[in-house]
Amino acid sequence: MNTVNTSASDTLTLYDETFSSRFLLGTALYRSPLQMSEAIQASGTEFITLSLRQQNPQKNDGDAFWQLLKDTGCQLLPNTAGCKTAKEAINLAEMSRELFETPWIKLEVIGDDYNLQPDPFELLIAATELIKRGFKVLPYCTDDLVLCLRLVDAGCQVLMPWGAPIGTGRGLMNKYHLSSLRERISHIPLIIDAGLGSPSQAAAALEMGFDAVLLNTAVATADDPVLMARAFSLAIQAGRSGYLAGLMQRRQTASPSTPILGQPFWHNHPPEHK
Amino acid sequence: MSNTNIAIIGAGLAGRLLAFKLSKLNYNLHLYEANPLTPAATAHLSAAAFTAAGMIAPISEAIEADIDTYHLGKTSLALWPSIIEQLNLNAATQVEFKHSGSLIICHPQDHAELSHFRHKVEQLSRQCDAQYQILNAQQLNALEPGLNGNFTSGLFLEDEAHIDNRQLLRALLAHCIANQVQVIDNTQVSIEGNTVISSKAKKSFDWVFDCRGIGAKPQLPQLRGVRGEVLRVESKEITLHRPVRLMHPRYQLYLVPKPNHQFVIGATQIESEDRSPMSVQSMLELCTAMYSINPAFSQARIIEQNTNLRPAFIDNKPQVIVRGQQVAINGFFRHGFLIAPAIIDSVIHWLQGTTCPHHQRIFSFLE
Repeated sequence: MNTVNTSASDTLTLYDETFSSRFLLGTALYRSPLQMSEAIQASGTEFITLSLRQQNPQKNDGDAFWQLLKDTGCQLLPNTAGCKTAKEAINLAEMSRELFETPWIKLEVIGDDYNLQPDPFELLIAATELIKRGFKVLPYCTDDLVLCLRLVDAGCQVLMPWGAPIGTGRGLMNKYHLSSLRERISHIPLIIDAGLGSPSQAAAALEMGFDAVLLNTAVATADDPVLMARAFSLAIQAGRSGYLAGLMQRRQTASPSTPILGQPFWHNHPPEHK
Repeated sequence: MSNTNIAIIGAGLAGRLLAFKLSKLNYNLHLYEANPLTPAATAHLSAAAFTAAGMIAPISEAIEADIDTYHLGKTSLALWPSIIEQLNLNAATQVEFKHSGSLIICHPQDHAELSHFRHKVEQLSRQCDAQYQILNAQQLNALEPGLNGNFTSGLFLEDEAHIDNRQLLRALLAHCIANQVQVIDNTQVSIEGNTVISSKAKKSFDWVFDCRGIGAKPQLPQLRGVRGEVLRVESKEITLHRPVRLMHPRYQLYLVPKPNHQFVIGATQIESEDRSPMSVQSMLELCTAMYSINPAFSQARIIEQNTNLRPAFIDNKPQVIVRGQQVAINGFFRHGFLIAPAIIDSVIHWLQGTTCPHHQRIFSFLE
């Protein structure tokens, strides 16, 4: 994909808008709004998700929490968490657009209550309709290639496949599916959304060529969310740089970095210590 | 000291407890409340303490908050018995207070949640004297036979308690009246410096304590309300001896036994100042949790659904803000019964010029 190697010009483009951070962060589950805003700051994120249903800001009532989110200066990404049908998600997206005055929507249509797995059928219906209505849709989807292709056909300019079910912290469960997704859908950004538990898993996603990660639980429920936000931020930068730098290919046999040809033969045996 | 005139604004938990404690120290006290306080009008009480479940759970709450909350809670846990003892001297104002611990349980499929909680309690216990016990299915059943037998393990936090919040609020008010506190209810007031202004009168005091909770927002713009929804149900079939917390990946709910076969189940926590009635989603979640704790709850009667706003500052910690002769006590968040005695005790020590024995950090002094 991107062949520009300097970090200043290595930006993420979502629906023609440019972002320098590759870290999207959720705003739920923190111990206090203060801790949330400190974690957001430490993460360097420019995009924060929020739920209209669980964090229900009242328009124009001076709601302090809502004000705090605006004060972060981040782009707000309302989600449709908790919706189970396309119709419900479309309605909630419309309400969010009006309340938050933004066309951005993280589209979630849940098919299974227990692992919060996206419903691919309803998701596609909702995405198709919302794109028509002028939304900038970021669909939370499974790693199914055909579903992802259909979402692209529907006009989505970014996809957000899961690494693992929401809140599980299991990381990239199906690397084979994810890498085929990356290979086949190389012309638009792919963001790993959900399931990441540790910074190394986020780094791995970026190394695989994913453009960004979105997470919440791993940061918010850490003993020290601010430090964890920083840790993820560093891991994401490391993973991205690793990807841009070009990873070496794995090999079956060891290949010493210093050629052994020409070395005295007795170096082949470890020296004996007495 | 009987020549010191004090106004307390807001007859919620903080206001009543402060008035009760000060009334034993011979101050001249006026307690103002915006709502009517006749027994028949209790349903209209807007105090968050009236809606609350009345848990005094320093360990469970510190897991979601921090070590300061634990220490405030432990101090309060030690202070409650003497308050209750004084109230219970009058047979008409008995208050149920049970220091019988609390149980933390989860469904077998959510075991990770219980492990996570246990890990946090272990961490906490390294910083303080928090104690816990791990229970297997038999021990759970022996301790709390009213639980559904499907629970295979749990945590018992012995050093936690619960109180009947409504009995307590009534008893505090009755004792205040008996101790010559002048109660001016059904009266909205504003505060200017040391003066309390209502539509009928204007009166100056030596000290004005603002204990209005979210009602103090005009004075404390940094205050926010956090929506909570609770149900009160009645079931004669089920007996529980202590609060039960149900761990779940997406919410943490608790069921607290109350006198007269009643139970309070709560509470949602939504970042909003919306006071509208409970949502269907919340009702489903609360009922499902209750049903899973014991299926016999399916025949319980829902006697109340309540929505209220917890007053909170940005760090969700309490504050005592002293500005001239005006003292604001606010930001108890979800911890009213857990922390009120410790904070009121500190405030009284400060008022009497003695060194606050604990929790100095809750005070701030403004010009």
